[in-house]
Amino acid sequence: MGSANLQLSRRQVLGIGAGGVIGAVGFRYLAMQLPAASRETASASGVDGAWTSPLGSPAGLAAHLLRRATFGYTAAELDSAASMRYADLVDMVVNQAAQPLPRVGDATNHEAVVQAWYDHMATTPAQFPERMTLFWHGLLTSDYRKAARLPFVLQQNELYRSIGRSNFRTLIKAVTYDPLMIRYLDLEESTAAAPNENYSRELMELFTLGAGHYTETDVREGARAFSGIRTVLVDANGRRMQPPKLKGSTPAVYAQTLDQLIAQGARFKGVLAAGQHDAGVKTFLGHTGDIDPAEALDIILSQPACAPRIARSALVQFCTPDPSTALVNSVASQFRDSNYDIKTLMRAIFTDPAFTSASAYRSLVRGPAEYMVATMRALKRPDLAATCVRSGAAMDQLLYDMPTVAGWPSNQGWVSSAAWLARLNFAAGVVASTPDLPDPLEAVRTQLDGVVGSDTATVFNASESNGDRWYALLASPEFQLK
Amino acid sequence: MITRRDFMVSGITATGAGIIVPPVFAKSVFAATIDDVHNDHVLVILQLGGGNDGLNTVIPYADPAYLQARPTIGIPADKVLRLNAEIGLNPVMPGIKKLFDAGSVALVQGVGYPKPVYSHFEGLYIWEHADPTMRQTEGWLGKLLAGQLDAQGHPLTGCALGQASTPAELLAQNASVSVIDSIPTYAVEGGEGRRVAGPALYRRTPGIYGALFDQALTTAEYGIAALADSQNRYTPSVTYTPQSTVYGSKNSLAASLQLTAEMIVTQPSVKICHVVLGGFDTHQDEDTRQSALLAYVDSAVSAFMQDIANHGMADRVVLMTWSEFGRRVRENGGKGTDHGAAAPVFVVGKPVKGGVLGEQPSLTSTVDSGNLQYNVDFRSVYQSLIRDWLRADPASVLGASFPELPIIRTV
Repeated sequence: MGSANLQLSRRQVLGIGAGGVIGAVGFRYLAMQLPAASRETASASGVDGAWTSPLGSPAGLAAHLLRRATFGYTAAELDSAASMRYADLVDMVVNQAAQPLPRVGDATNHEAVVQAWYDHMATTPAQFPERMTLFWHGLLTSDYRKAARLPFVLQQNELYRSIGRSNFRTLIKAVTYDPLMIRYLDLEESTAAAPNENYSRELMELFTLGAGHYTETDVREGARAFSGIRTVLVDANGRRMQPPKLKGSTPAVYAQTLDQLIAQGARFKGVLAAGQHDAGVKTFLGHTGDIDPAEALDIILSQPACAPRIARSALVQFCTPDPSTALVNSVASQFRDSNYDIKTLMRAIFTDPAFTSASAYRSLVRGPAEYMVATMRALKRPDLAATCVRSGAAMDQLLYDMPTVAGWPSNQGWVSSAAWLARLNFAAGVVASTPDLPDPLEAVRTQLDGVVGSDTATVFNASESNGDRWYALLASPEFQLK
Repeated sequence: MITRRDFMVSGITATGAGIIVPPVFAKSVFAATIDDVHNDHVLVILQLGGGNDGLNTVIPYADPAYLQARPTIGIPADKVLRLNAEIGLNPVMPGIKKLFDAGSVALVQGVGYPKPVYSHFEGLYIWEHADPTMRQTEGWLGKLLAGQLDAQGHPLTGCALGQASTPAELLAQNASVSVIDSIPTYAVEGGEGRRVAGPALYRRTPGIYGALFDQALTTAEYGIAALADSQNRYTPSVTYTPQSTVYGSKNSLAASLQLTAEMIVTQPSVKICHVVLGGFDTHQDEDTRQSALLAYVDSAVSAFMQDIANHGMADRVVLMTWSEFGRRVRENGGKGTDHGAAAPVFVVGKPVKGGVLGEQPSLTSTVDSGNLQYNVDFRSVYQSLIRDWLRADPASVLGASFPELPIIRTV
């Protein structure tokens, strides 16, 4: 099944235009005298159905990279990025060190964790590590419900932040022993006598290889290899402890007890419980032996389908909605040759001509979290994290609450009548609650590269206040794209 | 009469990105009435997301192999709501039982397709596109809307309700779909200025997503206007009980079905409504989780059917359930079941010819080491509903002809 093709073709919907009525779409106003320049340019341009790409200029290319590798930028950050050689800028972005999430008040409450994460996305200077945390969250998925009242959401979020730019082998091994994943895909229930297939199947189908690159027998044999993984609580010295019991406690007391234990260095971790693990001989993806979880993962990573699958996922999120096989293979071979180094993967994407050429301009749709955080950063309103948590549902993105184990939609998949109203209404609410709005004309230059279509120009130009202008900018089609 | 403004557009092409949005005949502004929908029948699709376990929904209680395969999660014969001497419903489904007894449920047994897949996403794709070979790129309902039911492009003909994304079943190149999470939130907020400015930003958006974005806003604008006074024209006649504690479900089915009733009662253009309840991927703790979900389905569907009847529209509405697959015959070690194959489909409504169709697949003579062998192709169900209920041409949607199922009453 060509899932990428599916996404595209099923979204090829109506062209709404007006032959002979519209003078121009996609013009660029340069003089920043909006009313005059836009009218003039509009009447002067021909119809090409596309925005004029600014990626040929250093500022345009820097803004393009920052919209994709980060959650947005201020004018000062953009100017500084634009002054660098592009290759150096990519290196700087990719090599950013992560900043830890500030302490979360109640780590057993997933909404508190998600709010802290939104806050961090909006405020941390280490933007790329944060963006990668969101990327892995969307690929190596989990659902907060399975954490019950344990701090597993926070722990998984911290895992992706700390090793999400290291090595995929390291990452997928850690994920296999991550307490939230252990619960989410039912490893916790999997025994030698009755291996549960859920993780084995989704690991191969969605996280690494893709359908068609394994058999049903591989799913069952893989389930045997992954049987017996359990979550334990260990103290600061790595010694097993009894977790506190929720039964007979109140949620507040329970959260406090856990919080104290964690402050003292206790943490949850996955282990292989020998008594529950099937140590017998299996045949898995053509390999025979008493395969354990680490060996099973190495076998998966040795499959030719693995690197292309991950490369494609990253390309669709960061580069182009429909990557060609040649592009996928080129990026995948660099990824594979580096022994699955994630920085190599991302550098390969950011420097590929498919990323830097004009056709890449505004070819990706910002997801709801990206859209909301970009708004916070553009308006310098980092205090909106709680609003983001509340507003995600209507745009169909509640972090740690994905529609299915396949993760978030991408690009066209985010677009619906309901979701677009929700974006407009988010913009209206944020603008109304921001007393000191920055200069909107300057924002058109920095946030939209000064490249807008005639609708956005018309609404912007008809505005009577800075609130109206900022609404036009944040609600515009241009700001939904990256 | 419809006043239509149809625009021919030149193709919007992004070279290099590999996307071509071809020239299409765009459908833009619509009148409040429709003149070419040839009947007032409505099909409601209820998707049970995650793979509902058919064997614990319709229980073959008389077959000793059932409890042998399911020693901990099996439902004993004395608890089952018996439909006949072989099968019965999960005890949490008294409302569906009542509808069955009234002759308003066609229960189709053993529904599936050749060479079952056990992946959620392939299974979804197959059901959504009515194509086990996974070559079709348009959803079966989208194709039906664009080609036949809604050739005029009325934005309130195909609706996805109680959700924020467009379901794949409704996606097709020329299908306009209204996605409405709830009526109060279906609005351009922020005052009169925003109500004008917001949609005005999306009249002729450039770029590869331009048509898609503009359609989303045009559809929304129309729907908001059409629904402005719907609360004056619809009051629920029954209580739709939300169940916030249902484990793993992402959607409030009660609210979605109440919204569906409101749409059907107030919008004569509505033909297809899609609602969804997730959480059926019961690899563990199926005994408690699936019961909670099915109880919710039972109460929400019963309330919806009663509400529709109270509004005098029982003859207009048929509801069909589906799920991407059933589950393995034998339970696993975690009081759950793994991905499986064939399962029952419910078709509910007064126009339905009640009873059991198809046969319960054998629990012992299975395919792929322990999965149920289908005996009714799911496209037979689609075909019957397209032809006999919606009175459209199934072949152009399904590409082939399938054995006929007498699901809809002919008199």
